[in-house]
Amino acid sequence: MMQPQRILTLVKMEMTRQVMDPLVLVFTTFLAPALILIFGLTMSNNYGWDESETYSVFEIMLPGLLAYSGLLTIYDVAAGVAGERETGIQKRINTTPLTTAEYILSQMISYTIKPIIQLVIGLGIAVAVGYRPLIFFGTGYSLGSKFVGILLVIVFMVIFTFCSVGLGLITANFAKTAGAAGGLAFIFIVPQQIFGSFIPPGFMGMEGIGWALPSWYATRGFGLLFAGTPFTDTEIWLRLGILLAISIVIYIVGILLYERKKRR
Amino acid sequence: MQNKMVVGFKKMTVTEENDDNKIETSSSFDEKNAIEVKNLKKHFKGKRGMEDVKAIDGISFHVEKGEVFGLLGTNGAGKTTTINILTGALLPTEGNAFVSGYNVETEIQKIKEMISVCPQEAAVYKFLSGLGNIKFFGNMYLMPKDKTIERGEELLKLLGLYDARNRLARGYSGGMKRQLSLIISLINEPDILFLDEPTVGLDPRNRRKVWDFLKGQKDQKNTIILTTHYIEEAEVLCNRVAIMDYGEIIAMGSPQELIAEHQVKNLEEVFLKITGRSILEGI
Repeated sequence: MMQPQRILTLVKMEMTRQVMDPLVLVFTTFLAPALILIFGLTMSNNYGWDESETYSVFEIMLPGLLAYSGLLTIYDVAAGVAGERETGIQKRINTTPLTTAEYILSQMISYTIKPIIQLVIGLGIAVAVGYRPLIFFGTGYSLGSKFVGILLVIVFMVIFTFCSVGLGLITANFAKTAGAAGGLAFIFIVPQQIFGSFIPPGFMGMEGIGWALPSWYATRGFGLLFAGTPFTDTEIWLRLGILLAISIVIYIVGILLYERKKRR
Repeated sequence: MQNKMVVGFKKMTVTEENDDNKIETSSSFDEKNAIEVKNLKKHFKGKRGMEDVKAIDGISFHVEKGEVFGLLGTNGAGKTTTINILTGALLPTEGNAFVSGYNVETEIQKIKEMISVCPQEAAVYKFLSGLGNIKFFGNMYLMPKDKTIERGEELLKLLGLYDARNRLARGYSGGMKRQLSLIISLINEPDILFLDEPTVGLDPRNRRKVWDFLKGQKDQKNTIILTTHYIEEAEVLCNRVAIMDYGEIIAMGSPQELIAEHQVKNLEEVFLKITGRSILEGI
């Protein structure tokens, strides 16, 4: 049976690690909000990507920038787990009665908190620089549908982060040191960043590559919701469903590889 | 298939046999023992066409309750691999091992609730304080917070780390981290304590302090399995030792018995006489 005392202790420890490690704090916590601020200030009035001049470059980029904070979780998890293995901590906690299920759940919780905080900060910055997503500010939406829309944005981020935790566990399996794991993590980060998050819809026919990448579904999900697409729209649920399916597969592979490494 | 019932010392053994193999599904575990190891093997697959590495190759021994048992040997002799199997970090290739009557392959979760391990590395969280580390591991064993703090502070005082208890472990010296690691391994008052080279990297004064501390544990009849390169450490602390070389146990007994048997002055000379090499070779 899972013990909340162990899970909460691990979550607290992991959050402390993330706060106490300056590299992790700066690189994976403040990078995405900082990019949102920079692009918000410089691209809010640039309509170069949209001939109808309905959406600014910043508005098109924002969903991808928000997904980027979830993507960096891959680096966080990979470097964290490999670092614990490198220092012998991983081996030590594996000799305690802590179960794999408790460990994995604690990872899911602790690594999901940060992207949600980043989501809130990122959207706050975007609104501060003048962005008005229809989901929050649009007229003709009931309070209930706005609430469900906001909830769906969070759900997209949570599921996408789970997927990134799984990819982080997979990466950690192949790296012996935290440094190597951090480097390897970019094998999963860069393609998702370029083809899944930063390429705007319909851009030079390259979007098709993104269909295989989890970040594409998160980014397009955010985009649809911010543009005021009603939460009843099947497009949203289809993207959420595919993202969930990909996440489950990746997560299972991550757990299996972690378990194999734990006891050979 | 034929099922055979064998009555052991106190528990019943059920052995299932078929034409090809024989699996011991329970143990004839002698209840005066804390650990029983039978013909244990661990082979690692050779990489790039190399031969398999026989880290341990058919070792058998037992450790009685309340005994301090030492595994001695050079680097690569198989000491840490043996401990890793007994504590659930590795699965054996062949053979059986039982800790408190539980099979290490199938009942590791029960074993983990009654043991503790002090690994070779000073495995502590550097961004937590000394006391923070102790509380973290107390929680892993579901200990009440006040009991963890009480016992933790007692151990910190015993090993002279009490004044540094609220400092982050990243500011500790190497020796202090090792001592904190030892304290963490004792926080849950384990039935069996595994110490993997507990004094490696310590200066002579701190090493002596740890020996005194472990002698106290020995006097309290706590069961301890320790690996070490230091002969003096084994002679001072261990009731019995097993000398390992190339994955095999080449001698076993009390230090006094082994010294008398080989008619030499100390265990180092016993090792030298048996293997023709110094136990400190390669360190």
